[in-house]
Amino acid sequence: MLLLTVVLQILFLRDLAIGNIAFCFLYLWALLKAPLQIPIGLFLIGSFVLGWTVDIFYNTHGMHAFACVCIAMVRPLIFKVLTPANGYDERSSVSLAEMNVLWFFPYLFIMLFLHHVILFLMEAMDASLLGISLLRAFFSALVGMLVFGLLELFSQNK
Amino acid sequence: MNQLFQFLLRQRIFLLFVVLELVNLWGIFKYNDYQHTFYFNTTNRWAASILAMGEEVKSYHQLREVNQDLALENARLHAEIFKLNSQKQPESKIPYFLGEGMLQRYQPLACKVIDQSTQMSQNYLTIDKGTRDGIAPGMAVISSTGIVGKVISCTSDLSLIVSVLHTGNNVSAKIKSTGELGYIKWGGIQPEVANLQDVSKYKKVVKGDTIVTSDYNAVFPPNIPIGIVAKVGLEKDETFHDIKVMLLTHFSTLKYVYVIKNKLAAQQAILEQAKPKPE
Repeated sequence: MLLLTVVLQILFLRDLAIGNIAFCFLYLWALLKAPLQIPIGLFLIGSFVLGWTVDIFYNTHGMHAFACVCIAMVRPLIFKVLTPANGYDERSSVSLAEMNVLWFFPYLFIMLFLHHVILFLMEAMDASLLGISLLRAFFSALVGMLVFGLLELFSQNK
Repeated sequence: MNQLFQFLLRQRIFLLFVVLELVNLWGIFKYNDYQHTFYFNTTNRWAASILAMGEEVKSYHQLREVNQDLALENARLHAEIFKLNSQKQPESKIPYFLGEGMLQRYQPLACKVIDQSTQMSQNYLTIDKGTRDGIAPGMAVISSTGIVGKVISCTSDLSLIVSVLHTGNNVSAKIKSTGELGYIKWGGIQPEVANLQDVSKYKKVVKGDTIVTSDYNAVFPPNIPIGIVAKVGLEKDETFHDIKVMLLTHFSTLKYVYVIKNKLAAQQAILEQAKPKPE
């Protein structure tokens, strides 16, 4: 599944831009769905490798990796902030089936939006493009929520 | 040492994070053309602005020397101008040759003003050169914009100049465009304005005309700018224009002046003495 998302991202979604303002970053699936208990060191290195792999094909050396490592570092914090009512005790995976909607979508949004903001600002490198970068990040995050939400719904039926 | 290792061990996640991000940043600025140029442009811009600031401070400290150099250069240029002006052929049809003595007649010397007044009714300036540099009473003094006055007294290192802003110091002048003669006399109040007198009311004078020193001036070389006609009136029951002239020399901010040595002054004086004295 990880390989599939990366390949899809590299081969198809690379050229997809909705209204030149929203982009789909499917490869973040592995980052979002990583097990709760995963050691953070391993997770950081994993996200670095994932980001750099995408970067190689996007011709943006380091930008995706930078954003990925950033949200990987922030993820435990988000877990702490968004603690479900009865804790994480018997949950092991991040999914719509195990968490409720009110946990999963904020989690998705924060992760995606943060990633996109960092990525687009890195790309723009210009304060005058701040507005359009934030706009792009916001709409891309919305698209991401839609896509990952659908993925979750389909895997729920399995 | 042990504590350092323990600290590193405790913070290993964060350190890993920092290291990975640094690697990414390095990659971003190293391999992406746009970011690479951006980095270079900003660093260069900051560096350039800092260098420019330093240069400004330095140049401020050099201003004194720069002023001195400029004054010297101006003196040299004035000499050129006098030479070229005297070389200019008059309009007459008669063949006219200019002697070497006339060509080298006026030699300017740059001097620094060390004391001056503009608020009195009789104003004087003191400059930092005297007889040791060849200055003698009677020499003309001009600034880079217009006339200043006349040397009246010298010591070996200093000279006293009677300013044009002196009610007793009249300067023979003419209107540049028409050649109409008159003389400049200071009114004694405003250091910017003087009167042009002795211009007949039947002659045409227009606001904006340039007033220069006349050809028959005993002190100044001809065609040194004096001022601009600011107001033309007619004195009641008089035969002359009442002309206010805006002086071109800014006396209150005068820093450097040029004393003009007249090489032929001595010969002129001899000739003056040769004039038969009236009984």
